[in-house]
Formats: sequence, C-alpha cells, structure tokens
Amino acid sequence: MARFHPLTVTAVEKTIRDAVCVTLEPEDPAAFAFRPGQYLTFRRDFDGEELRRSYSICAGIDDGRLQVGIKRVEGGAFSTWANEALRPGDRLEAMPPMGSFHTPLDAANARHILGFAGGSGITPLLSIVKSVLAREPRSRVTLVYANRGVNTIMFREELEDLKNLHLGRLNVIHVLEQDATEIELFTGRVDEAKCEALFRHWIDPADVDLAFICGPEPMMLGIARSLRAHGLDDAQIRFELFASGQPGRLKAPVAGCGAAAGGAGTEARITLDGATRTVRMEPGQTLLDAALAGDLDAPYACKAGVCSTCRCKVIEGAAEMAANHALEDYEVARGYVLSCQAVPTTDRIVVDYDQ
Amino acid sequence: MDIERYLAEGGRVTSPQGLPPRYRAELLRLMATFVDSSLAGAAGFADIINAAPGIEARIAAAKIVLEKTDHAGRVLRVMADFGADTARYATHHPWTGRLPRSAPPEARLDTPDQRLSVFAFPLDGWTDAVVMNLVMGTAAGVQIDDLVQVSYQPLAEAVREIAPREARHTGLAAEGLAQALARGDRDRVAASLAYWTPRVAQGFGSGRPERLAQLTRFGLRHTAPETQAARWRAALAQALAPHGLSLPG
Repeated sequence: MARFHPLTVTAVEKTIRDAVCVTLEPEDPAAFAFRPGQYLTFRRDFDGEELRRSYSICAGIDDGRLQVGIKRVEGGAFSTWANEALRPGDRLEAMPPMGSFHTPLDAANARHILGFAGGSGITPLLSIVKSVLAREPRSRVTLVYANRGVNTIMFREELEDLKNLHLGRLNVIHVLEQDATEIELFTGRVDEAKCEALFRHWIDPADVDLAFICGPEPMMLGIARSLRAHGLDDAQIRFELFASGQPGRLKAPVAGCGAAAGGAGTEARITLDGATRTVRMEPGQTLLDAALAGDLDAPYACKAGVCSTCRCKVIEGAAEMAANHALEDYEVARGYVLSCQAVPTTDRIVVDYDQ
Repeated sequence: MDIERYLAEGGRVTSPQGLPPRYRAELLRLMATFVDSSLAGAAGFADIINAAPGIEARIAAAKIVLEKTDHAGRVLRVMADFGADTARYATHHPWTGRLPRSAPPEARLDTPDQRLSVFAFPLDGWTDAVVMNLVMGTAAGVQIDDLVQVSYQPLAEAVREIAPREARHTGLAAEGLAQALARGDRDRVAASLAYWTPRVAQGFGSGRPERLAQLTRFGLRHTAPETQAARWRAALAQALAPHGLSLPG
C-alpha cells in the first residue's frame, strides 16, 4: 500500500494572487519519480484532524524538480494554509505520485495533442505539455485554456516561455469569461458550443490524436461531447477530475459511546442507499453479515479485510475489527470500519454505508 | 455540479477522491469480480497445461495462465488506490477451489470471493478446457466491450490494455477447437458445450432493476444483461458455425 514520505519545501512562489507553485525536495527521490499529469496526495493535521488533499504536479518530466500548483479554494483549509502560511524549509508528507492522466512518451511519436484546461486545471496539463514538447520533438500541442480573466491565468508566463522555446509546436488559445477580447471566439465559457466554434475555425479535430481535459465538470462534459461528436473515441479522451470533490473541512468524528455489548445481541441500524433498517444481531456476527441477513444489499468482495469494498461508517456505538488491511488510521479515526470484519462492542450501533 | 449528475451525463473520474460511497463500493465490487475471476480462471487452467496435447498447446495454455494472472494484477493495481492490500489479496482465497463436476449450473461455491460462478466448476481434460475457454472467452469479450466504457478511467485504461490479449486467448481456443475436432473429439466437444454454455450464461445475471439503473447512472454499466447475453450467444454461434456446431439448448 502507498505510504507517506517526508518532503522539504524549497520554494513557494505565487503564480497569481490566490495560487502558489510549491517546489519540494523528497527525502527519497526514487519514490517520487512521476509521470506527467500525476498528482501528489498530502496529509496534514489541522487542530487534531487529519486532512488529505491532492494537487497535481506542474513540473515537466525533465525539469529536475518536483513542483505542485495549489490554488486557494474558498473555505479550503489545506489550500488556504498552503497559500498563506507555507514557507521554504517546512516539511510536508505526501504519498508517491498517483493518477492515470497521462500518456506514454516516445521520441518517435509525431502527434497532435489537444489540451483543455479550466482555471487550476492547467496544473497537470502544464506538466504534460512541457514533457511532450521536450520528449517528443515531432509532436505538437494545442492548449485551450479557460479562465475568468487575465489576472486569474496561472502559469501564463511559463506558457509564453514554452511557446518561445518550442517555436511553432505549442499553440495556446486563451478563452476568457470576462476581460472580453475583441475576438468573440476567445470570449466566454468553454462549452460544447465553444468547442464547435473552435473546431470549425481554429482546430481540426480530425488531426487530433489525443485530448486531455481538466477543469470543472460541466466544462469537461461539454468538451467530451463535442470531441466524441467529431469522431474521437474514449481511448483518445483523458479526463482529470478531483479538485472539486474535495470538501473544505472534515466533520469531527463521532466518538464511540455506549456500554460494552452483552450476550443478548446488538440492535443495528443500518443505512444503505438512503434507506435505513434495524436488524437484531447475533453475538459475534459481523455488521456485513447482519446487513446481508437483513436482506440489505450491502457491498462486499473479499470478506477478509483486504479490499475495502464493504467500508461503512459507525455513526453511533462502536465496533471492533478482527482484521484491517485496507483502511488507514485516519479513516478509522473518522469512524470507518470494514463491515466484513467489524463486530459491535455496544448494545446498539448505527452505521451508514452511504458516507 | 454534483458528481452523481456528472457521472450520469457521461463524465469520467480518475481518482478515488470525492467519489460517492455507493459508487466506490460498486466499482470495487466490479473490479473484485474481474480480479477474482481472472485469478480463479488462471488457477484452474494451470493444471490443464499438463494435459495439453503438444508443445504448441502447452505454450498456449501457459501463456493464458500467465496473461490472465497479469490481468488480475493490472486491475488489482487500480484497486490499490482505494486501499486494497494487493499482496494479501492475491493469496487470501483458495483460487483452485471448485465444486464437484456434477454440480448444477445454479450451484455456488461456498467461498466469499467474487469470481463469476462459472469459475467454480472444474475443468475435465484438455478438450473441455478448450471449449470452456471459447465459451467463456466469448462472454468475456462482450463484458469487456462494456467495461472499456466504464466511468472510472484508470479501470477503463487497464481494461483497454487487457482487451486484445483476452481476445487472443479466445482466438487460441478457437484454434484448439478446430484441432480437437480434427482429432475426432466431436462428441467430447458437444458434451463440453452442453456443460459450459448454461454455466457461463449465469454470469450475465439479471440483477435487481434498481441496482442496474444505478450502475447505469454511475457509468459502471452501459449494456443491459439481456442484451449482453444475446450478443454473447450470437458471437458464440458465429464461432461454432464453421465447425458445423450449434449452441446447445
């Protein structure tokens, strides 16, 4: 299983008013070899609560450094902290690079790669663009980059530098919602209609080998629909979505309460797919078996504490797991149990598979 | 935009973070079924290597065992991002466990792993293994066609890499079938077809309509089980026709 490794912050640079580019030096560089487009998952303790957040690597594969871009999210504890308090010399912990938003690079390739980035969605794309241009001398990249206005364009100068470094091989199309440019094509949101217009006047979709999209959900859906309508298949379209799913703050875990279970059997209230049912448990029975016996279609696979399919959250009461090879400490601290391994230790227990 | 709506509109996701719990659970179950079926299938086929009637056939059988195990590993790596313990997973079930050969098609193995029920039945010699591989491989092809569209992109990509090799395994089975018939094994082939076809058919299931609807909304399934079963039967009939064989029952 992936482990957390220590890294030292060597630089924190503002790219725009509310985003920083953080350079990191891992203690174990081999653990942080990355493929362009991957992300790092960090963990940090905020007032006794562990938060984990993922940020995409923005460095190119040949840049010789590890860098992530962190845009401040409204109400986001980690991103606000990174933007306001993170300093060179600070230590962070992160898991090795993960994610499959990438393409194998080969110097023999002569491809046209089309990227769509919305706001901070540029971060993984910057890594991909840099790496493709550096490693595939015969490939070209067109980047459609959507932003609210000129002052929210992350990595604007880096992109200009890349264009100059790889003359004629990188085309960046800025589409701005505000700060209207004179050309209508480059103003507004990047949606299905905008893609149609771009494909009519600016980009030949038949010439595109691979497309990468990273941005807000509606933008990705619109672009993907348009790409499919122009003949690209699923294998040619890569999506990256994770930033928007991250909540700002965790809720405090519910502490286990109640007396130790007697032999009489526990009453379990089990919520699954929005419906709640109460079942009477046999002594020693696991939560999963109780749910299944109660005709609830509880998810499970390995029944050995290995795969995490049967994960549920204890809302009230407490349970003990016979084995846990899948959940990490912070998940257990938040009340998650593997229901195939969990036997209640209280007379009453309330669990939820939907959280 | 709510992630469930995003998925329902055909959106793709690339990381375990922020996924709805039920999506996460159904996705893991889907992957566990694939991994368990591949491991159990490879384990069953491993014994058959020794029954192969020649060096080419031995190589083909060994290759199938090797590649099916590798396919399990590829999907298991996707599961690892969700916290699955890959080292333990590969060995925590007795993958060679089987029912008696005489067990009816509806019989289930009394182990908690998620293998398709067809992998609970034992192979009976080389020709039987060839027929099983053809019947099941044709079904796997139909299921893989659906799985490459799955909304969890890392899984879709893993399956995309697996798909051509699985198709080759089915191709090897078709060659094996022609050879078995050339050896005069027609009765044996017919008996094995009659044995495996209803057992593979079980794997398409029917499922509760609500659950199927939810899987569809999640982008974890794109084709109805009945449609898949019909496609499988058509593909199998097409593979058998040149040999003057037809689908049993």
